[in-house]
Formats: sequence, C-alpha cells, structure tokens
Amino acid sequence: MKEIIKLTSVLTLICLISGALLAAVSSVTKAPIEKAAMAGKRKAIDKVLPAKEGVKFDVEPLDIIDNDQTWTFYVARDQGKFVGAAVEASSDKGYSGEVKIMVGINAENNVQAIAIVAQSETPGLGARMVEPSFKDQFKNKNINTTKWAVKKDQGDIDQITAATISSRAVVDAVKAGIDVFTKHKAEIIK
Amino acid sequence: MKFYTELIKGLWKENPIFRLVLGMCPTLAVTTSLENGLGMGLASTFVLVCSNIVISSVRNLIPAKVRIPCFIVIIATFVTIVDLVMAGFAPALHKNLGLFIPLIVVNCVILGRAEAFASKNSVFLSIADGIGMGLGFTLGLAGLGAVREILGAGSLTVWGNLKFVIPGYEPMILMILAPGGFIALGIILGLMNHIQAVGARRKGTALPTPVHLDCRHCTICKFGA
Repeated sequence: MKEIIKLTSVLTLICLISGALLAAVSSVTKAPIEKAAMAGKRKAIDKVLPAKEGVKFDVEPLDIIDNDQTWTFYVARDQGKFVGAAVEASSDKGYSGEVKIMVGINAENNVQAIAIVAQSETPGLGARMVEPSFKDQFKNKNINTTKWAVKKDQGDIDQITAATISSRAVVDAVKAGIDVFTKHKAEIIK
Repeated sequence: MKFYTELIKGLWKENPIFRLVLGMCPTLAVTTSLENGLGMGLASTFVLVCSNIVISSVRNLIPAKVRIPCFIVIIATFVTIVDLVMAGFAPALHKNLGLFIPLIVVNCVILGRAEAFASKNSVFLSIADGIGMGLGFTLGLAGLGAVREILGAGSLTVWGNLKFVIPGYEPMILMILAPGGFIALGIILGLMNHIQAVGARRKGTALPTPVHLDCRHCTICKFGA
C-alpha cells in the first residue's frame, strides 16, 4: 500500500511539473506561432497575386460563404480597382492526406499563379507538385475556357509522371477555388 | 578519458542505427533524402541530450517500477517544447523539420538511451552519450538518405538550395519508396558487418561478440548477464 502511494505520487508529480512547464512554454510561444503562421500565409498570397513594378498590393480579407463553407478571399486593389484575388483551397483526393493550395486569379480572368501551401505526398513522386515544371503550367490559364482536369482525364493540365492521383488533387483544389470565385465574382471584384 | 570513449562509441562501435538497430521507424520513414536525414538526426540529437541530462539527474529519485512512464513523460515534454519554440521563433527551420519533431517521441533511440545509459550513469557521461549517440544517429540517417536520394532521385540536396543533379541518370524510384529503405539499410548493415569481420580476421582475433554492447535490458540472449 505504501509503495503504491509512493509510485503514484512520483508519477503525478512528474506529470504536474511537465504540464506546468508546457503551459508556460505554450503561453510564451502562442503569439509568435500565430504571427509566423500569418506571415507564411502572407508569403503564399504574395506569390500568387499580381504585382506592379515588383511592388505587392495590400490585400484585404473577404469572407465568402458558399454551401455553408467559409472561403477567405484576399483581394488586391490598385487605387480601388480590382487587380486580383487569392484564395486557399484544399482537396482530400491526394495520395496521403490533404493537399492545400493557394490560387491567385487576376483581373483578366486568368490564373496568376498557384502555390502549394501544405502537402504530404510521396517524396520524389507526388511531392514533385511543388516543382515549377508542374506548378507553373497553371499560370495564365483562363479560368473559364480551361478544362480543369489532368490530361489523363481529357483536361488541359499535364499530370506528373507516376503521380496522377496527386496531380488530380491539385487540379481539384484549384478548380474548387476558381468555382467559388466565378460564382461570387460580382461580390469579390466590386 | 571516459567522456571521450562514451562520446565516440555512438559513431561506429555502438551506432544506434547500424549496430543497436534502434529507431527503425523514423529511419525508414524519413531517409528519402540527405536533407531529411540530417534534419531528423539533429532534432533527435537535441532532444536526446536534453532528456539524458534530465533523466540522469533525477535517476535516484525515480522508483524503478515506474521509470518507463516517467521517462516517456520527460521525453514527450521536451519534444513538445522543442516543437513549440521552433514553431514560434524559427518558423523557417520548423517548416523543414516540423514533420519529424512529433516522430521523435516514438524514437526508440531516446528511450533506449534513457533506460540503458542515462538512468545508470552520471550527468556528465550522459551528456557524452547523448551527443555521441545523436551524432551517430545523424550520420546514419544522413548516409542512408544520401544513398537513397542519389539512387532514387538522381540528385543530392545538401541543404535548402544547394543541390547537385546527376545528368543523364534515370532514377530508380523504388529507392525512395519504402522497399528502397529496407534494401539500402540491409546492404549498408551487411557492408558494415563485412568490414568488421575482415578487420577482426586481419588482426587475428575472433569476431567480437555483442558483449560490449549495452544489451543488459534485453533478456532474449544472455550475453549481457
């Protein structure tokens, strides 16, 4: 009996100390982590929005509700005139886990660029979606006339060799973002 | 002198990957490239040194019967602290290593060293053990990662943008998938055993038995008894 009390109290004490330590660390790092996440997002937005003479426009977030889902568009304006919008979209059709992308659409109804925000596809195969040779083919594609599917599915996007599923997931996410943009265009560009 | 012995034993004689064959799950999972191997190795080294320090300094306070749960709580605490601090103050590094940090909790090397070394030795020697084992683990992961990246992707990314590509080489994709990990690990293990056997024969001594290895906690064979 005495032993049980001793063992329990030692274990409890260690867990208490650990818990207190973690709470303290978490309270210190909470704000910087959020700031870093925001900075990361801002970087992805900058990558996919048009720039004038290398200068990035300020963006304002705009929440659009579509089918009970909230999509945050980051809208860039030049002296009040719409120049582009970026939106984060994701697809769960990837080979392992969610594929998250950021797609930027400019005032000419073209895709400005896409950025891969998060993915956990197979290294050397699906993970090659982050390489420019795949990513850059989305650039300057018209959002209305392009067939948003991989070539294997009679679309306009070249899939990555041996990684059709991952390629499909990217196209799927891009298409989802574009669809919401097209549907709510008036509201976004006003 | 003892400090030095404990420091270098992890590099070859008791290399955690190729000699103790510990931590196989992260070994096979992350060694798809040199950069991943280095990252996982360095993050593990940091946690290993910290957990060795704490565990060896409280080794006389923890009752033997609950030592394993205590070690796990201590290790998990360190891993979470590393994860949080890195995410908050070094987001670029966290982006590269973030994937591997939670994996360190389940890394047998760290619990193995806590149990087999830090809980029986002084803080001073435990630091040496942590650094040596950590570097041995890092070297093993980086070597395995380099082999698999060169064969499987036809390139070698040292860190960030420093990248070499082998021109005109058709990559064997198998090597960066799971089977390639087993194949590369098996071949390197075999080579190391071969080198050791040849070395022992030249010296005219018998092939060393695993007596010098720290396998006291294992009861399968009686070498350590």
